[in-house]
Amino acid sequence: MSNSILESGTTNEPASTTVMSMQQALNRALDEVLAENRKAVVFGEDCGRLGGVFRITDGLQAKHGAQRVFDTPLAESGILGLSVGLAMAGFHPIPEVQFDGFAYPAINQIVCQIARMNYRSRGTMPMPITLRVPSFGGIRAPEHHGESLEALFAHVPGLKVVSPSNPHEAYHLLKYAATRPDPVIFMEPKSRYWQKAEVDIARHEADGGAPTGAKIMREGRHLTLVAWGAMVSRCLQVAELAAEDGIDVEVLDLRWLKPIDAAALAASVRKTRRAVVVHEAPLTSGLGAEVAQLITQHCFDTLKAPVERVTGFDVPYPSGDLEDEYIPNIDRILFGIQRVLEYKRG
Amino acid sequence: MAEISFPLPDLGEGLIEATVLEWLVSPGEQVERNQPLVEVETTKSAVELPSPQAGKVVRIHGGPGDKINVGEPLIVFEVPDNTAGIVGTVPTEEAPKRRVRLSAVLDED
Repeated sequence: MSNSILESGTTNEPASTTVMSMQQALNRALDEVLAENRKAVVFGEDCGRLGGVFRITDGLQAKHGAQRVFDTPLAESGILGLSVGLAMAGFHPIPEVQFDGFAYPAINQIVCQIARMNYRSRGTMPMPITLRVPSFGGIRAPEHHGESLEALFAHVPGLKVVSPSNPHEAYHLLKYAATRPDPVIFMEPKSRYWQKAEVDIARHEADGGAPTGAKIMREGRHLTLVAWGAMVSRCLQVAELAAEDGIDVEVLDLRWLKPIDAAALAASVRKTRRAVVVHEAPLTSGLGAEVAQLITQHCFDTLKAPVERVTGFDVPYPSGDLEDEYIPNIDRILFGIQRVLEYKRG
Repeated sequence: MAEISFPLPDLGEGLIEATVLEWLVSPGEQVERNQPLVEVETTKSAVELPSPQAGKVVRIHGGPGDKINVGEPLIVFEVPDNTAGIVGTVPTEEAPKRRVRLSAVLDED
């Protein structure tokens, strides 16, 4: 399931590798999905004429027509309710909720309809919906624009949840999600939209397989940092700094937050025997608790210390001026690593 | 580059227009978010309008003494295509900074 990205970035770059931002990678993925699947439709607030507030749907209406890429009223319950009807009629909706915090008005449609229609209809009404949600914080935006809803969605039976950490992952995970027969909540780390990186268009994984499960982004021997979304790049920075102190950190990008790739988690932590999970969401009942439990269950005998969590705080997401105090920063993650390193049994 | 138009907002409760007193920026100028753009007078008061965003000023509407209706264009900005219309600020990439150093004796048992 997990394959190292290291080998794809070093030697023999295939001709299909190109440098682009996550915006461009997602835009290209949507463009290709619309071209390849006549049943795919893209819609949301400002998704049509404007091309989305983050430019993710830029140019798609002009290319694929206003019947397949269109603006909706400012009503998330309507956007997701429309998705239910379209899916029942055989379409493959790819709706956008403009910001994480705007998903709340559509919780009824997501939880009570989309997540369980397939189950309720005994498999006769699948919901192949990919809900794009610009997520997490980091852009100095107002209230409701910086929230992390992964635990909320992951808790709902019937939903799958995924978050890309870089342009390559964004391109392939979105294309893959859009072909799934189940509803997928696609959480885009909005603070990473503009950073450019190499995307291997032709190949998902080093072994050519589908982008399922977790992925080791950096190999290490002493401790595993588990993260997703925007926290992956921060953990990669932390790993470089830890190396200066002689600590060899592995970074595991969880990618799929439902279902979680427990096998990849266990394999990594069995090797390193120490783990810290990092997320932007508040601590209590965050997904870090689930990750910590899976590690404990699978690696109890080999763990050298309890799994640490470095997370946001149990407060409403703060205004932009306080964002840097809330989101786990490099020093807080290093402190978490230090707590694990110096743990003594008994 | 993309153009973003900013219409005159309702500056009170139910005001329908405002009169331009003085423009504080001119076309071609690069402005920052919250920088004062223009002084206008309504039936209630004279106020300075802060810029809703950063960008280069392309056009301004109305000279001193001109009335502008709420909802009509006041100023047009030019912004890079990939930031047109975004809510918030594009984060800058900074070199990682640290204050914490790790210390550990790693027993490899």
